[in-house]
Amino acid sequence: MRPHALALAIFGISALTPLVIRDGFFLDSLILILMWGAISGAWNVAGGYAGQASLGHSAFFGIGAYSAALMATRWNASPWLGMLVGAVVATGAGLIIGYLSNRLKGPYFALATIAFSQVLLIVASRWRGFTAGSEGVPVPFRPGFWTLGFASKVTWVYLVLCLALAVYLVQVYLERSRIGYRLAGVREDEDAAEALGIPSRRLKVMAVAASAALTSVCGALWAQYVGFVDPFYVFSVDLSIRFALNAIIGGIGTAMGPFVGSILITSLETFLRASFSDVRGGLIGIYLIIYGCLLIVVVRFIPQGLVGWFGQRFRAMGLYARA
Amino acid sequence: MTALPQLLVSTVLLGGIYALIAVGLTLIFGIMRVVNFAHGEFLMLGMYLAFWSFTLWGLDPYFLLVVAVPLFFAIGLGIYALVMRGVIHASHNVQIFTTVGLSTALQNVALVFWTGDFRFVRPWESSIVVRILGAAFNLSQVIAFAVALLFTLALFAFMKWTHAGRVMRATAQDGEAATLMGIDTDRVYRLAFAMGIACVGVAGVLVSPLYSVYPTAGLQFVLLAYVVVVLGGLGDMVGALLGALIVAAVEVIGSYVFGSAWKEVIYFVLFIAVLVFRPAGLFGQRGAEALGA
Repeated sequence: MRPHALALAIFGISALTPLVIRDGFFLDSLILILMWGAISGAWNVAGGYAGQASLGHSAFFGIGAYSAALMATRWNASPWLGMLVGAVVATGAGLIIGYLSNRLKGPYFALATIAFSQVLLIVASRWRGFTAGSEGVPVPFRPGFWTLGFASKVTWVYLVLCLALAVYLVQVYLERSRIGYRLAGVREDEDAAEALGIPSRRLKVMAVAASAALTSVCGALWAQYVGFVDPFYVFSVDLSIRFALNAIIGGIGTAMGPFVGSILITSLETFLRASFSDVRGGLIGIYLIIYGCLLIVVVRFIPQGLVGWFGQRFRAMGLYARA
Repeated sequence: MTALPQLLVSTVLLGGIYALIAVGLTLIFGIMRVVNFAHGEFLMLGMYLAFWSFTLWGLDPYFLLVVAVPLFFAIGLGIYALVMRGVIHASHNVQIFTTVGLSTALQNVALVFWTGDFRFVRPWESSIVVRILGAAFNLSQVIAFAVALLFTLALFAFMKWTHAGRVMRATAQDGEAATLMGIDTDRVYRLAFAMGIACVGVAGVLVSPLYSVYPTAGLQFVLLAYVVVVLGGLGDMVGALLGALIVAAVEVIGSYVFGSAWKEVIYFVLFIAVLVFRPAGLFGQRGAEALGA
């Protein structure tokens, strides 16, 4: 059980918290931490495990958010169904993007994905007849499980916790399974992996598609929780950066990294928002300045991220077989 | 066909400005092999420099160029020493996220200090109408084009005919061989980065009378600049110039035919198509992208 100690601690505390604390603000922070962690974990599947660092993952997030919201508002369908549709569409988009950009590495892949998310942003904000254009889509609140309307934050905590666990398990699978080892081979040295008969192209496409599907599921849940889908937010480059940021600060290519990153970044944001909101709106930007600087410092000095860094320290001390 | 001269001149004027933004980006990529994701933020800083000098002291943006060039050159040197030097030999991911972090930090410095309001610079040139081939333009546009062209050509001349330019091109071709020939590549990278930032800072000052100024103003331009640079082949300066004209033509003709709402879709699709099918650029050699990748 030792390799899962960190996960057990974090998810366990999250599961127990609603039993003790009923404060709405606190529970809201917890939900956001888990949700951002799950999304970054989904990003990590492509960015960390397959080495395809995307800066356009907001595209898939937006697809999920819009699918759930539009299915609910236009056809009165269940957001669960919308989530499924979103996942299918995102998988398709992920397959296409993954396939087309297969030859692209590093900055080229990042640029292609940014362009893709920008195309979706323009379409979503201009296609007034279908997406309601730049005004965005308010998601109606309809109480009940089938309509994904929960007034209680406690229910949301457990729902998002399930999502986080699912994303965590997918990542653990990628660390332990045959596919995972092959992916690592492709990531570290594609030519060598090819020479050993590993179908590197197919693996990368699959990783991007899986990552896209997970991201869109997170997007759908997020839309239901927040209750409003704004095209300029859900398809923004800033959001894509944020997905990557949590994973990188926590530890790129580690299963717990995105969650550790999210705990740090989301709490910092919540704290600064709470302390500066009444002073002057613009000061909220301070946390983004800190993000930026933190990102520069982390990739420079601890590129393996916090989980990786502490893992090495612990291993050196003989405390953990693996962190 | 009465619109033709208007479209043609618009394309050329716009292309000149895009070229100056893109040339800085491609210079940095060509020599350092780093895609500067924070490029647009320096453009935004240039726009704010113009805005504040104009509002506080009534300084005309074009007089400001005398200050902007050395100022942005110095900013470039500073950022290189603080941030870029450490990652120049690092992996792609490290490089990408270093400049992404820089971009986030700079954008929000602007947001915190100067708020998110849209601001405008309207010097007297903006209200003067110039007629070219029967088409009407305001003087700011024409000056911006002329100065941008001047800077772009000066940069070309510098790269082609000066010793420093030759040294830079040599480093771009083969960094190791250049080191063996006694070239201090660290100085070359520093110079390239500072020159690239100076170009985009000047471009920011130049476009300030034409567009509104706000903290994320750089994003739209820099996305354009990526399209331009990828079309021309990353690192290829002449290609960047041609790419700028192509993107300007797509933008001008696209907004004429489809309406301005959809023009961006056209060039992003073009962008993705080029990235996928000809990542070395329209004019580059096949496989050249492997150098960067």
